[in-house]
Amino acid sequence: MTTVLAEVGFYEPVWIQILKALVIFAVGLQIVPIVLLAERKILGRFQQRYGPNRVGPFGALQPLADIGKLLWKEEFRPKTSIGFLFVLAPIISIITATATLAAVPFGNVVDIFGEPVGLYGIDVNIGILYVFAFGAIAFYGLVLGGWASGSKYSFLGAMRAAAQLISYEVAGGLAVVGVVMMAGSLSLTEIVEAQAADGMWFVVPQFVGFLVFLTAAFAETNRAPFDLAEADAELVGGYNTEYGGGGFATYFMAEYLNIVVLSAITATLFLGGWLLPFGIDPPTWVDPLVVIAKIGALSFFFIWIRATLPRLRYDQLMSFGWKILLPLATINTLVTAILVVVW
Amino acid sequence: MAPVFFFIAALGAIAGAIGVVVLRHPLYSVLSLVFHLLSLAALFLLLRAEFVAAAQVVVYAGAVMVLYVFVVAYVGGTQEPVDLPGGARARLLSFGVVGLLLVELLIATLGSGLSAVGEEGAAYEPGFGSPAQIGELLLTDFLLAFEVSSFLLLIAAVGAVVLARRRGGVDDGEVEGRISVAQLLAPEGLGSMAESVSGRSGVTDEPEGRG
Repeated sequence: MTTVLAEVGFYEPVWIQILKALVIFAVGLQIVPIVLLAERKILGRFQQRYGPNRVGPFGALQPLADIGKLLWKEEFRPKTSIGFLFVLAPIISIITATATLAAVPFGNVVDIFGEPVGLYGIDVNIGILYVFAFGAIAFYGLVLGGWASGSKYSFLGAMRAAAQLISYEVAGGLAVVGVVMMAGSLSLTEIVEAQAADGMWFVVPQFVGFLVFLTAAFAETNRAPFDLAEADAELVGGYNTEYGGGGFATYFMAEYLNIVVLSAITATLFLGGWLLPFGIDPPTWVDPLVVIAKIGALSFFFIWIRATLPRLRYDQLMSFGWKILLPLATINTLVTAILVVVW
Repeated sequence: MAPVFFFIAALGAIAGAIGVVVLRHPLYSVLSLVFHLLSLAALFLLLRAEFVAAAQVVVYAGAVMVLYVFVVAYVGGTQEPVDLPGGARARLLSFGVVGLLLVELLIATLGSGLSAVGEEGAAYEPGFGSPAQIGELLLTDFLLAFEVSSFLLLIAAVGAVVLARRRGGVDDGEVEGRISVAQLLAPEGLGSMAESVSGRSGVTDEPEGRG
């Protein structure tokens, strides 16, 4: 039997693949409530207040309480909404977010019980394109949600989200081209190995690309200062205005999962994945912890930016994406291409 | 497993294609076209053409269809179905044309294409369909076609800008909202409403605090 859909560098038995899927998603989905709680706590500190501290020790059970509240709410949908699309849209969002998680490498190939196992879901040779492909599908989750709600606010939010996603996806994609050219591969594990071989994380030679990619990541996750799609003050809530209970929880979860995934992708592409700086070479079991620590640091950066910067105006968002970010990414790609050939 | 995936994806592709034609609401047509394209991407994956599959999703499902969704959601979001002018005669004629097209396609595939397909299928060599190999082919064997098509895209992009300028769509009304790096880095004033209306220039012809 040949498993074509999950083409890996070597063939792993089916039980290992299933086990890997379970472990990766268990760990990945556990990070989400931690980021959620951390965001509320840190935002509280930034705004001179305590943040949640009533439920459980230090408010640690707050995410659980939130989820419980959302799940026990009545499922409501507007009369003007379109039934099956209204249900389908959040599902698309969460599926694409989790599918992208599979491409994140937490370490290289290690021996577990005598079997060589790659510490990643899949290592396809299209690597980073896989991430962008699912990013492209994620667009439909937002737009269909907004459109199928049959409400003006939802529709406006969805259109904003759509315009924002396509504008910043271009710049983000171009920013990655520099990394791909330096690594000579699209595969995420090989990109990390190229950084080990160079003895330098790509954030140093590709600093412009790093900034552009990070900015695009903020825009793709609809986070402040690019949270135009769910600007509460203008749109009541954006594409998810009409969602309550489970549907809202799904969108919420997808948003935070996207933060985790994009942090992980940024860490892999620019911050050396599972590598430690200054040539420290720990035992292999530390590798996943290093990746998780980097995810945590980048997620903190996401929250930090949200607490610091005000929301952009819509036309500023568009002209920033097309007139500053895109030319910057293009020039970065050109310069990198020339330098790679010359050296 | 591969045959199962093949039949799921193939049925999906056919169902999507039929849906595009049969469904009356324009947005549903677009969505079933998206479904069709995603099924095609799955078929490409089964042929070990990962790069083509990813390009299919990113370019067609991700960029081209997004444009369709935009246009349909903005313009064609009406409830009344599209009705064909011409009635029954036009419908009959269209069936005739479709029949002719089918015959032509059958002649083409049965006559030439199918005879090349054996029981075993084409030989698979490692690295086939990988980005590296496709890149190499594009820059060696198909260099001319590659360059010509990129020129075509460049011409199309320039043409779009020219058309937009001729209608005054690019410059008009956008001058105020234009920002530069310098303006972003050096915030002037306090970000009042008056400032945002006058394009962040810091010019205030009305007292601060009213905004």
